[in-house]
Amino acid sequence: MNYKIKFTFLVSLLLCLGTYAQNTISIKGQVSSSEDNEPIPGVNVVVANSNNGTVTDFDGNFEISASAGDVLQFSYVGFKTQLVAVDNNTIINLAMDLDDNLLDEIVVIGYGTQKRKNLTGAISKVKSEKLEKIAVSRIDDALVGQISGVNIQATEGEAGSDPTIRVRGTGSITSSSSPLIVVDGIVVDNDFLGNLDMNDIESFEVLKDASSAAIFGARGGNGVILISTKNGKEGRTKFTYNTYTGFKKAIRSDNLYVSMQDWADRELAATGQISDKTTYKLALQNDRDYQDIMFDGGMIESHSISARGGSQRTTFSTSLNYLSDEGVLLTDNFNRYSLRLKVDSKVGDKFKIGANISPSYSKRRRFDGSTHDVLRQPPWLPVYHNEHTIQFVDRNAYPDVQVGDYAVQRHFDNFDLYGDGGQTDISTTSNTNPVAKILERDRNDYKFKLYGNIYAQYEIANDLKFKTTLGGDYSHTKRDRWQGVKASRNGVAATRLDLSNGKRLHIVSDNVLTYDKTIGKHDINAVAGFSAEQWDYEIEAATGIGYTSDLVRTLSGATTIAEATSEEYQQRLLSYFGRINYAYDGKYLVSLSARRDGYSAFGPDSKYGFFPAASAGWTLSNEDFLRESKTVNFLKLRVSYGLTGNNAFDIGSGDFRNQINSYPYLSLIGSSSASFNNSIVNGFNPLNISNAGLGWEKSVEVNPGIDFGLFNNRLTGSVDVYKRTSEDLLLDVPVSYTTGFPNALDNRGKVENRGIEIELRTKNVIRPNFQWNSTFIASRNENELVDFAESNGLITNVDTKRAAEWINLVGNPISSFYGWVVDSEIPAEYIKAPWERVRQTNRDVYVKDLNGDGVIDDDDKTILGNPYPDLVWSISNEFKVGGFELSFIFQGSHGAEVRNIGDQYLFRQFGSASTTLPTAPNQGFIKQKIFTDSIVQNASYVALRTISIGYDLPEDLLSELFISNFRIYVTGQNLMYITADDYNGLNPESINNTSPINYGYQRVGSPINRTFSLGLNLNF
Amino acid sequence: MKSIRIIIFISVMAVFTSCEDYLEPAPTSVISGASFYDDEAQLMQGVYNMYDGLQGANDTSSRSNHATQIEYYVTEMRSDNTRSKSGEGEAAQFDNLAVEATNGLIADHYRSFYNVIFRANTVLQNLGVASETNKAKIEGEAKFIRAYVYFNLVRLYGAIPLLDNVIGVSDDASYIRRPVAEVYDLIVSDLNSAVVGLDNNNGRNRATKAAAQGLLAKVHLTLGNYLDAQQLLESVMSEGFALEPSFSDVFFNESNSEVIFAIGYASGLVQDSQNFSAEFLNGVGRTVGVNYVTDDAKAFMEANGGDRTVVSMRTDPIQPTQTQVIKFLPDGFDGGSDGKTFDFDARLAGNDWIVLRYADILLMHVEAIMGSSSETNAAVALASFQKVRDRAGLTDPATSISKDDLLAERRAELAFENQRLYDIMRFGKGIDILGSYALAIGANFTSNDLLLPFPQIEIGLSKGLLEQNPGY
Repeated sequence: MNYKIKFTFLVSLLLCLGTYAQNTISIKGQVSSSEDNEPIPGVNVVVANSNNGTVTDFDGNFEISASAGDVLQFSYVGFKTQLVAVDNNTIINLAMDLDDNLLDEIVVIGYGTQKRKNLTGAISKVKSEKLEKIAVSRIDDALVGQISGVNIQATEGEAGSDPTIRVRGTGSITSSSSPLIVVDGIVVDNDFLGNLDMNDIESFEVLKDASSAAIFGARGGNGVILISTKNGKEGRTKFTYNTYTGFKKAIRSDNLYVSMQDWADRELAATGQISDKTTYKLALQNDRDYQDIMFDGGMIESHSISARGGSQRTTFSTSLNYLSDEGVLLTDNFNRYSLRLKVDSKVGDKFKIGANISPSYSKRRRFDGSTHDVLRQPPWLPVYHNEHTIQFVDRNAYPDVQVGDYAVQRHFDNFDLYGDGGQTDISTTSNTNPVAKILERDRNDYKFKLYGNIYAQYEIANDLKFKTTLGGDYSHTKRDRWQGVKASRNGVAATRLDLSNGKRLHIVSDNVLTYDKTIGKHDINAVAGFSAEQWDYEIEAATGIGYTSDLVRTLSGATTIAEATSEEYQQRLLSYFGRINYAYDGKYLVSLSARRDGYSAFGPDSKYGFFPAASAGWTLSNEDFLRESKTVNFLKLRVSYGLTGNNAFDIGSGDFRNQINSYPYLSLIGSSSASFNNSIVNGFNPLNISNAGLGWEKSVEVNPGIDFGLFNNRLTGSVDVYKRTSEDLLLDVPVSYTTGFPNALDNRGKVENRGIEIELRTKNVIRPNFQWNSTFIASRNENELVDFAESNGLITNVDTKRAAEWINLVGNPISSFYGWVVDSEIPAEYIKAPWERVRQTNRDVYVKDLNGDGVIDDDDKTILGNPYPDLVWSISNEFKVGGFELSFIFQGSHGAEVRNIGDQYLFRQFGSASTTLPTAPNQGFIKQKIFTDSIVQNASYVALRTISIGYDLPEDLLSELFISNFRIYVTGQNLMYITADDYNGLNPESINNTSPINYGYQRVGSPINRTFSLGLNLNF
Repeated sequence: MKSIRIIIFISVMAVFTSCEDYLEPAPTSVISGASFYDDEAQLMQGVYNMYDGLQGANDTSSRSNHATQIEYYVTEMRSDNTRSKSGEGEAAQFDNLAVEATNGLIADHYRSFYNVIFRANTVLQNLGVASETNKAKIEGEAKFIRAYVYFNLVRLYGAIPLLDNVIGVSDDASYIRRPVAEVYDLIVSDLNSAVVGLDNNNGRNRATKAAAQGLLAKVHLTLGNYLDAQQLLESVMSEGFALEPSFSDVFFNESNSEVIFAIGYASGLVQDSQNFSAEFLNGVGRTVGVNYVTDDAKAFMEANGGDRTVVSMRTDPIQPTQTQVIKFLPDGFDGGSDGKTFDFDARLAGNDWIVLRYADILLMHVEAIMGSSSETNAAVALASFQKVRDRAGLTDPATSISKDDLLAERRAELAFENQRLYDIMRFGKGIDILGSYALAIGANFTSNDLLLPFPQIEIGLSKGLLEQNPGY
């Protein structure tokens, strides 16, 4: 066909259309709800594939001109979109049905999709509309409280930090109980969540039970989170602009501050006088709550612009995002820029190709210090010297200190309080000024990440498709850490630059055959494929010391390179998998799957694991006896059984950590060095106790469940009961030091997680101008160590310096707090100097002689609690009145405890002043609080996670402005946050990253953030 | 037909990628040990690795092995010589003779030194690859290190698990305490091999024949074998070692003729430097100050130290009520007027840790001659004794030396060199001296405190097999 003919054809077509369009009729009608026959105002009525449209008035009436043969499309939020063909009838009255499409929705499962009603596994889905209204910087933070069985905990409160995600409790005893993250079908590393923008997400699916996750075999053991990003749709290009700006504030703890005057009053009341030290401290006239300085609040801001659209053959989606999150801590800051482009194109009838690429760059300034170190400072210590405080400086020792300099406690030594030549000291540490430690350091992580994939899909035959995907991600992380001249009490001698560069290349090749066929009442879907994945890492790091100023912060500016290291390592995974889903008549559903995985870090004979799964469902509501039921609209029983695996383990620390994590089945030897007559010689040091039999951790899970829709689907929901038994746990088990090593990797032990999950969604009110929906989600999980072989009863500590103990005892949760039980406090008269330090409490307590043998020893220790919540719940409500929408989520967690070592720091239990005098009776019954339940505290909380009020501008107003949607909203996070009475810290969710065998350690951490933000969504 | 082609393609791909090598990438940054210790050169790297173990890590991680860098906590600070400056935290448990089994430094110490034994046993197990010429020397070097560590451990913990080869996990030998005599049998036999196998051409930072003889002499003194000790010491005394004329040069001029064996450190390098020099000062190291001089030791040194006093300690310039150890000032610099200002990173100091020096040999010589009697006036003993005192400027000649004189002289000469606790125990004065010291500082003391507790984590792991020392 030449162009001329094409053109002629096009013109005649247009003319034809033009002629056709002239032949219009006016159509009138009324739209009502089929539920209650009330008229619905504001329904969109458009002639399909045209710009011709209108909206129903207050009485549900509309009028539109159309031609016979046109199709009218009626749409309204909460109702099913309906199409009505125009014939010669000029009156169209329509009763719109409520949208109960929840059950018809398509759910993404591993390597494919399935209709929700045909699911046999436990899969939860969250669409992004739910989450877009939550102004948080990370997508995983937005998921809090949205899905039953998924517990997301902001264990670190620093801006840009990763939360801890657990699906159905802690299964593994190793350091990884994190779910597998899959973005658009490609497995990515967990830290990718931090680089995705909420606005790009279409939906989340969480595969909770083994049968759903088994197709990911290897790494499905801790659940799978599937993330689908937005696709372009055929039609006019649609633009969106989303933005929000918010203020963040830390929720402070009243426990952490006592004013100087208040403390002096307490001293006076208790002792009848005010000591010299206190008098001196009062004279400094400084009374500071260090929370004021550390928690300086922040702002969060996000902008996102996207364009999506396409032709019949090619669709695209592209977006540009910017986020700036200035955390509530003094120096934490997170900035992210990301770009995303996704293109899908049909080449001919049977061939489809697509590509997806998204680079992102983030910069995170870290809070380089620890909150406990700052918050334990006494209120009398100024940050900077002023005209008043400078008078107290010990000029013999510190002749050069000036107004404006950082103050340190030692400056206030040797002060002659009464002018009589006597000296009073109030310093308790020669520590650097705590604020200097934070402000004079500069620590940043710069990450560039490129995620992308290309695929080609070919329809080999009707119903049979082959898809091959080459995907991967590349990340480059540069970290720098500058410690300036004033950052340390040692001045220039302690200046230091740590610099590191890490590169990771992760490549995945997925090759999948899909067969999809419906023969009469038989629906068959089968998938078979294989996948190869590899990770290549390179890391270089160097440390420079001996800087004379803060001016040149480079390695070249250093006088000495104190350390320089480099390393490379690889990990590989090879997998074969298959699955058959079968449904008969929409009633009987069966799914069978299997996967075989090989992982490079495992021993020669244990590299491969086999992970089969089966599940079945019965949709009772499609049976004759229920088909006509008015009460039961949908009812499905399902049960699944499956085996999944876990290959993630981490020995946690050490110079050769990455090497041992990658090649643990080999005896590894690394470099070491010694100094002979000041020349360095190289040695080789054995690094690990190798385990040639190291293999897969396996989990068997049984999960019966029920899905239902009742009362015209006004009440829908599901209940799942599960039992997951994980065994051959990958554990870096402590071994006797006499072996030459503190730990060895081994497959050991068995853990059971049992639980029940409930999701209830109700439509409480459905009126055209008023709707109220509620969602109730609750999960209960119980965790039990069933077998721990020779390690049963293992007692460990997180830190030999604060050696509070944990026990791993069969019959109890994986890790339990262990120690003595507090009997009573030690009376103040037996404390060395109970008023010497502000906010001081005594270090010791009397403990109970549990076995009554008259002595306190190891036999009197017992289990003091555990860090796992028994119940995690959320209730959300959503109200829509006209264009307004109000929603809020309460979320809570109950039954977990933390070992709050922060008490020891913040209440000054270290100091010699807080020790017990030898005159105290019953010396044998005195123990330090850190070894008792005094610091085991209830970590339960109830939070108003999100509250949001939005307003959609009326569409008739917008259509004139060529805007299809305009929404403004205000939202708040954690506006209410209630913790347990006996909890002393800042954040019950905060947990220091430790091994699962001694989990639940908290050392003050960072506070809960309260955020208040204003946002705008614009579509045109 | 197209579909068949694709299926063939897939199968070919599958075969390719399933190639076994794909799942066995070889490590490139470390060595796979299966084929290691193939030749003598590799074995020598195992030998050097023992010294790396003795050095210990210069970092703050509670999981690292700090070895020699924390040894003063369990030795000097448990004696009447030193204490922590603040009297706070787990360091103060040592000052107060109230060490608990949960003390992290105990775990660190125990872990570090059993790791050194593991390194030595690794060398000994692979001796087969050594050439006949060098075999005895390598064996001697490894056995010297093993004996040195066991000698310290047996004196600190008493009966201990005794391993003369590399063991696996879950071996009961990890927890079974072998009688003290058996431990000494191994120490003596190891040092005898070392004396035979080694020569004196290894420098001061590696095992030598003289170091082995000197150490063995100390072992014999501990066991009461005075004649054996005397012979060994006299053999060392004929090797050309000499006292440095200036006491301060012993510590700050490292290539001197007095040091027989020292653990080597190099300045400015994270991997090979040490932190203890900074720890002994006020807020220079990572603690606020440890290994500070007790009032008892201060008075003693002022009365008996002679020229050694000003080299051994000084008043803390910032806290004049406190006294610092200055035998190990970071790279020899005194920290200026406040005693804490350095223009280099004092935490990466290069001062060696002296294990054995000639003055110790001379005083042991006196001890060997004195034997089990309470004093001596033998001329050879007096000569050795006088050499040490003369160098300290205490030139009035001694005519007779009592056990107490000797112990006092050792205290003055070897103050803060981690010898004091071992000396008072070897002289049978542990309960006397520490008892009255405890009384003076208001601490509780029983004879149980002479031995350290085994780390609580070892007790936990042993499931009752490892018996804790009494009193813990």
